[in-house]
Amino acid sequence: MDDQSGVGRDLTLAAACVAAVFLFALLSPAFGTAGNAATVLRNGYELWLIALGMTLLMAMGAIDVSVGAVMGVTAILTGQALLADLPLGVVMLVGPAAGAMLGLCAGAVVVWGRIPAIVATLGLFGVFRMLIFLVLGGQWLSGLPADLTRVVDWRAAGVPAGLLIVALAYGAAWVFLRRTTYGPHLLAIGFDEDRARLMGLAVTRVRLATFAASGALCGLAGVFYIAIYRNVSMTIGADIALEAVAAVILGGTPIFGGRISLVGTVLGVLLLRILQNGLLLIGVPSLWQTVVTGALLLGVLSAEVVLRRARTGAA
Amino acid sequence: MAQLPALVDGVERLTDMMQAPPDAFVQARGIGKRFGALTALRDVDIDIRAGEVLALLGDNGAGKTTFVKVLAGAHVPSDGTLRIGGDTVRFASPRDAADHGVATIYQELALSENLKVAENIFLGHELVRPVLGVPFLDRAAMRARVRVLLGELDAHIPDIEAPVGSLSGGQRQAVAIARALNLDARLIIMDEPTAALAVAETRKVLNLTRRLAESGRAVVIVSHNIADVFEVADRMIVFRRGRKIAERKRAETDPDEIVALITGAHPDARVADQP
Repeated sequence: MDDQSGVGRDLTLAAACVAAVFLFALLSPAFGTAGNAATVLRNGYELWLIALGMTLLMAMGAIDVSVGAVMGVTAILTGQALLADLPLGVVMLVGPAAGAMLGLCAGAVVVWGRIPAIVATLGLFGVFRMLIFLVLGGQWLSGLPADLTRVVDWRAAGVPAGLLIVALAYGAAWVFLRRTTYGPHLLAIGFDEDRARLMGLAVTRVRLATFAASGALCGLAGVFYIAIYRNVSMTIGADIALEAVAAVILGGTPIFGGRISLVGTVLGVLLLRILQNGLLLIGVPSLWQTVVTGALLLGVLSAEVVLRRARTGAA
Repeated sequence: MAQLPALVDGVERLTDMMQAPPDAFVQARGIGKRFGALTALRDVDIDIRAGEVLALLGDNGAGKTTFVKVLAGAHVPSDGTLRIGGDTVRFASPRDAADHGVATIYQELALSENLKVAENIFLGHELVRPVLGVPFLDRAAMRARVRVLLGELDAHIPDIEAPVGSLSGGQRQAVAIARALNLDARLIIMDEPTAALAVAETRKVLNLTRRLAESGRAVVIVSHNIADVFEVADRMIVFRRGRKIAERKRAETDPDEIVALITGAHPDARVADQP
């Protein structure tokens, strides 16, 4: 499934991460510390989870731009479950369960409404944002207890539990993609949905399941959000859809589907978070972060167009 | 006098019908298909027998592809009945058709080119070992079966781990046919199997088509290439304006007559030109 060019892409991204680390370590004494490395990783949790779902959707030729709002809604639900003193195990399941339901809604609109995923989820983004507004009523949800924080930051042999959960999610996705029928079916649909149907695949079921899985991952991201920030503001998740799409495309999963790279997404998220953290430490205002994300995305996409033209021109 | 050949043909068809074994694998009767105001197919009767290659011919828009899509479960017919293997069937999807032993190899659309050879052959019908309901792939068993299938077809595909997009047109046809065989298809429909193939590859695919029929399967090919059809088909059916206008055994016709039927120059073709 990952072809040669995919491996080349992974190496390029890994090299870019290493180069960025060296550059920022030279420019800022605060960057190259163990504490800051832990911070960069910890800041990546939600994006890694959301980008994993986005990778599956984009490999299938779909997309979900409502992911930030889904994370917002599920974070609020998780926060309220925490305030209601529910058992911690239940609190951690509320987000993923609600996220799966919202993802399923998006999938249903796309599949049965026959609306392009980007349009359908843009509409749902508006609806979910309104939900956040109605629930929060213009206030912040804050003063949450630190129970979840202790879970996520608990260390097993020095490795934070949060990182382990993220790794577990990617590992499970890898097993489903490579060792079960899900992988070939997902990629066949991403390559050509009508053809996949003619070949007898249960296209609707795979599409719905993938939207639901992505929603569940957004819900898990909502749990992490509460654990790490212990508050929810009105603007929660406003930029994370752009970041996730950027990380997935940087990682080499094409926007039109048919190919997938989990390693690429892991590295794409890492590169974004290193750049954001490094730029902040050398004194670039945080407003510029979305510019960096957008510029990186445009840069990679135009480089691909140029390379493709060069290749086909040469052939 | 113009009616005389038609009359003779009618009598011949009647005797053919009486001689024909009653257990044709597919019996299509009065098949019609309308898309809104457009009638794509009108009152088509066709028998398809095991062990023979049947060619469907006709100009673009004559109805042969619509008929094939009815057989393949991609279109639900507006009228008529379809009996396959003795059961009256009503296919709601290509998957239904596949479950009844009908496999269709669409031109250019048969395979997912981003996937490997083995993944394509098994797509939607993978060999699995479920663990807690999760369908884990039995990859060793599938690879072994792929080697057997490709061996039977005498297809030389050096790397079965390669994506199908990297194969030649003939190799892709072989993979598509291996897929049909693996589904245990009893009727294999091939849409323009030799279009876009090099000469040597065309030969291989035609040989394969014969071999499929000789192994007792029913084979339908849709083709524009009269020379290929005469080389491989036992029987030919010509469509015109949504109707079946002629049915000929290969020994009883020649390319000129078939071309005349397709283009409408033949008297029998006028059936279709009446309102």
